[in-house]
Amino acid sequence: MRDRSELYPLKILVAGGFGVGKTTLVRALSEIEPLLTEQQMTETSVGVDDTRAVPDKRTTTVAMDFGRITVDDSLILYLFGTPGQSRFWFMWDELSRGSVGALVLVDLRRVDECFPAIDYFENRRIPYVIGVNTFPGANDHDEEAVRDALALSPETPVQWIDAREASSGIALLVRLVEHALSRTAPVPT
Amino acid sequence: MRGGAEDGRHGRQPAGRVVPVYAVTGGRTRSAGADLPVEALVTVTDAGRWAENLHLEYRTILQLAAAPVSIVELGAVLQVPVGVARVLVGDLADAGYVAVHRPQVTADGTPGPEILERLLEGLRARSV
Ligand SMILES: Nc1nc2c(ncn2[C@@H]2O[C@H](COP(=O)(O)OP(=O)(O)O)[C@@H](O)[C@H]2O)c(=O)[nH]1
Ligand SMILES: [Mg+2]
Repeated sequence: MRDRSELYPLKILVAGGFGVGKTTLVRALSEIEPLLTEQQMTETSVGVDDTRAVPDKRTTTVAMDFGRITVDDSLILYLFGTPGQSRFWFMWDELSRGSVGALVLVDLRRVDECFPAIDYFENRRIPYVIGVNTFPGANDHDEEAVRDALALSPETPVQWIDAREASSGIALLVRLVEHALSRTAPVPT
Repeated sequence: MRGGAEDGRHGRQPAGRVVPVYAVTGGRTRSAGADLPVEALVTVTDAGRWAENLHLEYRTILQLAAAPVSIVELGAVLQVPVGVARVLVGDLADAGYVAVHRPQVTADGTPGPEILERLLEGLRARSV
């Protein structure tokens, strides 16, 4: 393009179990409405076994939160709140390709719901940070206990957040980008 | 709903339409837009600014693309699945009416350190 300076789209996933605060965080951070997109999926691609009854692939749509932060003149960051269930992993594959990384939100009352997300990003070496959402009781636990419960590696950042507060969400994004940068830096020999 | 509306507009616009409408009728499988990531940014070109006799979806995209806008945002505004937005943008790119800005990634498929540094700087500026 000659008629304007180069533009760089970027994206970050917001993952975690149902009701953990993904939509809340994306809404708190986004500068735009509307915040829902529809992603088409063929059911065969998500391993639904009743498609055998139908010769053609059936298509359904999933709604997905997204938000936008215009970082500067040429950098535009998109946030995608991705449904936590593993049957949506085909969406994660597309969204995580080329991404900066992911925020994994955790509700300490239901920690196991974030395990699929953590495993997903670990297995693909995608940078992620843990955001412990401050639901009632979240402050009763310390970082060591959370690291233990989630079996995190020592370099994975953990931060307590309030998904309703933009400043809190921004702080978590900053943590993620720092983490992603530390992984692109050449390893000293 | 779409089929009928489409036919009606077709009838009113016999000539001068440059961009085909395969997308909304589902007849097209290959397009410049087919592999675009959802965050790819779209901007209108000079040719696009002067384009005439386009269908509503295309006109809407050209208007929105006066400022950088992504495929996923276009899908949301047009209320179509992101796959349809991708094909519509591909049609407009084929016609030279929009420029598409893809994510820049390094050899390992991730954003490079320079871009990440700029992102970090921009986010930190917002956190104060
Ligand atoms: N106390 C508290 N409640 C929250 C927080 N984040 C989200 N919630 C609430 O938790 C509920 C579920 O949040 P939602 O964003 O819809 O979860 P999602 O399913 O992950 O998208 C909503 O009622 C939110 O208001 C938080 O940081 N603190
Ligand atoms: Mg939600």
